[in-house]
Amino acid sequence: MAVDQSLIGKQFEATEPVVVTSEAIAAYCDALGDENYRRPGPDGAIVAPPSFAVTFRNTEAFFHYTPRFGRGFDAGKEVEFFAPIRAGDSITLTSVVREMYEKTGRSGTMTFVVLRSTLTNQRGETVAHVDHRFVHRNPGEPG
Amino acid sequence: MSANTGRHFDSVAVGESLGPHEIVIEKPRARAFAAACGMDSGRFHDDEAARAEGLPGMIIPGNFSLGLLSKLVTDWLGAGPGRLTRIGTTYRAIVLPERRLTLHGFVTHIEREARSVEIDVWIENEEAERLVIGTASVAFPPTD
Repeated sequence: MAVDQSLIGKQFEATEPVVVTSEAIAAYCDALGDENYRRPGPDGAIVAPPSFAVTFRNTEAFFHYTPRFGRGFDAGKEVEFFAPIRAGDSITLTSVVREMYEKTGRSGTMTFVVLRSTLTNQRGETVAHVDHRFVHRNPGEPG
Repeated sequence: MSANTGRHFDSVAVGESLGPHEIVIEKPRARAFAAACGMDSGRFHDDEAARAEGLPGMIIPGNFSLGLLSKLVTDWLGAGPGRLTRIGTTYRAIVLPERRLTLHGFVTHIEREARSVEIDVWIENEEAERLVIGTASVAFPPTD
């Protein structure tokens, strides 16, 4: 399957704002085994660990334009942290297709799709960039 | 892990190690993490659903690996003034629950002017195979 380069730059509809609760941060920290982030910051709000930024989900439309064939996997992420996320924040995601490319290795040809999500809080501050790198094995390939 | 009162820029040296920290992620904890992230795919919750996808059993989400490596760095920073500004991860192989994993980090570069530090991070299995590799960046304020 040829990679459709016209999808690069495709912007997805922003998600509805998600209000961060102290319970959501606690559930994340408990599962991660992180006790340091349960205590309030100087302003009294619970501050999430930086990696909490990857918990925000895109809308289904996010996946509509990505290749959906064979077995798809999360190949990696690149996350830049600009501002902390606190309980009470309201986070919105906007996402765009950054890259699409193919690689051929011993196990066949795979298509990589890089989608960037920008997290913005209720003050309009960019909180984080999350680059999701997905890989899909092309149809007809072994494995 | 003992409490870290805080790392300062001048105390960081190239070649310094973070960890190693051994962990075993049990299935309930892996499921709890996936649930906390809103990841409802069966491959993160159920062995049978994962096998139906051709996997050996339920797997640890990539986000969990990223979270563990981020925590490795923030634990190393402790309560000091340094801040994790970036982390990049590559998932090279499936990470399975109930296996002994080891988290590693290694300071590779220090920018004295910018007061930033680059760190290689990775997760190994018992065979010393690097299942997840990555790099992290840490920034320190002008004076600490």
